[in-house]
Amino acid sequence: MVNHTLTPTPFLGGYDQSIGGIRIRERHDLGLISMAIPLGDDAKVKKALKAAYGVAEPSATKSTVKGDVRIIRSAVDQMLMLFPNDAPNPVPDVKSAMKDSVWVTDQSNTWVVLEVSGDTVRDALERLCPIDLHPDTFAKNASARTVMEHMGALIVRTGDNSFLLMSASSSAGSFLHAVETSAKYAS
Amino acid sequence: MIINHPLLGPRDAAEFVYKGDVGLIDRPDGMSDDLDTFHDYAYLRDNPAGEHQELWYHEQGDRSWLVVTRSTLTHEITKVELARDVARARGRSS
Repeated sequence: MVNHTLTPTPFLGGYDQSIGGIRIRERHDLGLISMAIPLGDDAKVKKALKAAYGVAEPSATKSTVKGDVRIIRSAVDQMLMLFPNDAPNPVPDVKSAMKDSVWVTDQSNTWVVLEVSGDTVRDALERLCPIDLHPDTFAKNASARTVMEHMGALIVRTGDNSFLLMSASSSAGSFLHAVETSAKYAS
Repeated sequence: MIINHPLLGPRDAAEFVYKGDVGLIDRPDGMSDDLDTFHDYAYLRDNPAGEHQELWYHEQGDRSWLVVTRSTLTHEITKVELARDVARARGRSS
């Protein structure tokens, strides 16, 4: 039997380019875990999250961060965890760290994550994103699930001029094209 | 049109899908209610010129269901609630 070695390829081949001072970078180094909160277990989950990752439970509009781990509220009873990961299956570790208090599914291969940054990044995003991104209403760590160019997307502010954009990996190329085009028009 | 989501704040109506009259929450009991009750539930709607309570689904957002009170004459939205809160208040959900 022949032993094949398979090498995983990022959805966008590890895209990393600057367009008019806006850097667009694929973050394929991140693992994504979805955590669903059983009905009525909020207090228990809050405690488990603190014990496991030292991070507070995120509100509907603001993600929480501790070190490399970021937790985003993706739905009323659901959270999404972003963390550095290259393990093929991070689910068992997360399940045991959270003491089985949440329902866990690996979403690492379902979302594409783009990091966009630069002084004029908001000029590019205002062409794409229906959310008001002014720092007074969308401050650091603010998060929102919305739609960009008809594609479902999630946006998180990671700094004054940097954001994470997430969308379905199946349309990663179209999503990147939309972001690239907006960056071109803004420059 | 902007819908002021109770958890997320003002969001563009394009993120939502319209799901119909709020009466859909009050589904009859399939084991005890008669066929006419089900027929009315499935097919009969009021068509008010004025205040209307309706279900909206935040599909391109946090996937929540909302009960929106809107005037069919002006499109003015006077109230937005989480559908699950409304359903619970009616004893429809745990």
